[in-house]
Amino acid sequence: MTKCYDVLIVDDDLDMIEVMELVLHDAGYKTRSALNGQQALDAVAAEMPALIVLDMLMPVMNGWQFAQAFRSRYGRAIPIVVATAAEHIERRRNGLDVTDVLPKPFEISDLLRLVARHVQLPPPASVQ
Amino acid sequence: MVPGGIDPKALPDLTQRASSAHRMAGTVTAAFAVLGLMWVLLTDIVLYAITHDHVLIARIETAKGWIFISFASLLLYAVTFRSAARLDRVRRLTAAVVESIADGVLLLGHDRRIAYANPAAVRMLRCPVEELIGMNAADFSLRFHVAYPRGGMVPPGRFISQRVFDEGGPLDYKITLEPAGGGEVVVSATAAGVRMSVGDQATWVVSVMHDITDTEHLERLRDQFFAAAAHSLKTPVAVIKADVQSLMPAAGPKQRRIAASIDRQCDRIDRLVQNLMVLSRSRSRTLEMHPSEMELRPLVEQIAREGVWSYRHEVHTELTGSPSIRADHERLALVIRNLMYEASRLSLADSPLTLVARPEGDRVAVGVRYRPLPWRDRVAETYGDYDDIGIGRSVAETIAEGHGGSLSDESTDTETTSWLRLPAGAGAHA
Repeated sequence: MTKCYDVLIVDDDLDMIEVMELVLHDAGYKTRSALNGQQALDAVAAEMPALIVLDMLMPVMNGWQFAQAFRSRYGRAIPIVVATAAEHIERRRNGLDVTDVLPKPFEISDLLRLVARHVQLPPPASVQ
Repeated sequence: MVPGGIDPKALPDLTQRASSAHRMAGTVTAAFAVLGLMWVLLTDIVLYAITHDHVLIARIETAKGWIFISFASLLLYAVTFRSAARLDRVRRLTAAVVESIADGVLLLGHDRRIAYANPAAVRMLRCPVEELIGMNAADFSLRFHVAYPRGGMVPPGRFISQRVFDEGGPLDYKITLEPAGGGEVVVSATAAGVRMSVGDQATWVVSVMHDITDTEHLERLRDQFFAAAAHSLKTPVAVIKADVQSLMPAAGPKQRRIAASIDRQCDRIDRLVQNLMVLSRSRSRTLEMHPSEMELRPLVEQIAREGVWSYRHEVHTELTGSPSIRADHERLALVIRNLMYEASRLSLADSPLTLVARPEGDRVAVGVRYRPLPWRDRVAETYGDYDDIGIGRSVAETIAEGHGGSLSDESTDTETTSWLRLPAGAGAHA
């Protein structure tokens, strides 16, 4: 369990980002977002999140490319949860070095359970 | 020699049976012998009746011989000409038929080399016929890079045109070729041995290549379209599902019911999309299974908890032991959900559904038990045509067969159980 609190949501669908942010905010987490893998690399360079929720099929830089680049630069300390509509992601995760998989569409309770597994809730004062 | 590089005389003439040829030759020879003998006998009798002059007789005998030889030559010419002309017509017709076939035809001789290629084969392979004639399997492989459509070179020894000499046939497969000048041609090929009699070793092999590049391209496009459509549909469904679930905590009773309904319909759309993808891939023979060892219990329990069934039915589970199987998790989940959906549609409202999982010897059975509507058969028939029950059942059968398993229904007076039976995994245990 890390001491960072925020979750970086990487998805090219703004509505998906918005609903995940709403749900995670309501649960007490801090969130940031990126629309593709390149933006996500910029975001983690600025500040390392506690968890990355990663879509796979995105323009500019997709999830596979981001995961490879991220792992080669920063190692395995930060968990990555893949949230994707791609088929057979459980099998394909072997080459990705990701921590968990959340197939879309998903139950909110599953999202919260996975996030809670990896991210410590911040103290009440630091919640925005 | 005809265009295409083969002498038609090299083609075996299978249009005439050996017995009829013997009969015809025997009749002509016998007629010739009888007529010849009669000619000799009758002319001798007449000759000796009209003269006893030995010199005259000798001269007339010589003249008789010349006359006989002349008639015999004329007769031989007429018979030979007729037979040769008929044979030539048959050969030219056979050659013209083969030449005009739109599919590529290769004829391999007993030395397993190409002996003939029709114009369609020459066009398909974009290779001069002179280079094709005499080519063996290894040369063909090097020249055209014969591969399976899903990847991997076909070893020359595995060409159906080679195997059919030893294995019989006909044999067929789908391959890709790279003709001269680049590009790729997808071919559905068939090879059959030519035997003079049933049970004989094949002396020739006819290989027919049907160009299905355009069809394959369309199928790939369709596959890509479904994959893209599925992904494109899943994302909005995921957003809607997350949206309605996030609204539920603050919603009143009526809004909760509406939100739950939207949530269930999202699950239904998701299942429909998965079914359509499986159907599409099954039709284009690109459906892949990725089996791994898995415990059945967690999957069955998870599906039993899903709200899409529990809003209308009380869902029970009957799990015997902890059966494990080797299966594609995603596809297996789809099968069970399809059977659950079918049971929900065909059962009495508010009646219970029971998900059963149990080991059965070397197999594992997963069943959905329900109390059917009294007019279940008629409903099933209608739904099979107009509802996704038919699609779901078809997909379930495809996936079951892909796992070496089967689907079946068992009914009593009050209950029906739809069973999926699969081979147990290596670690199966009760």
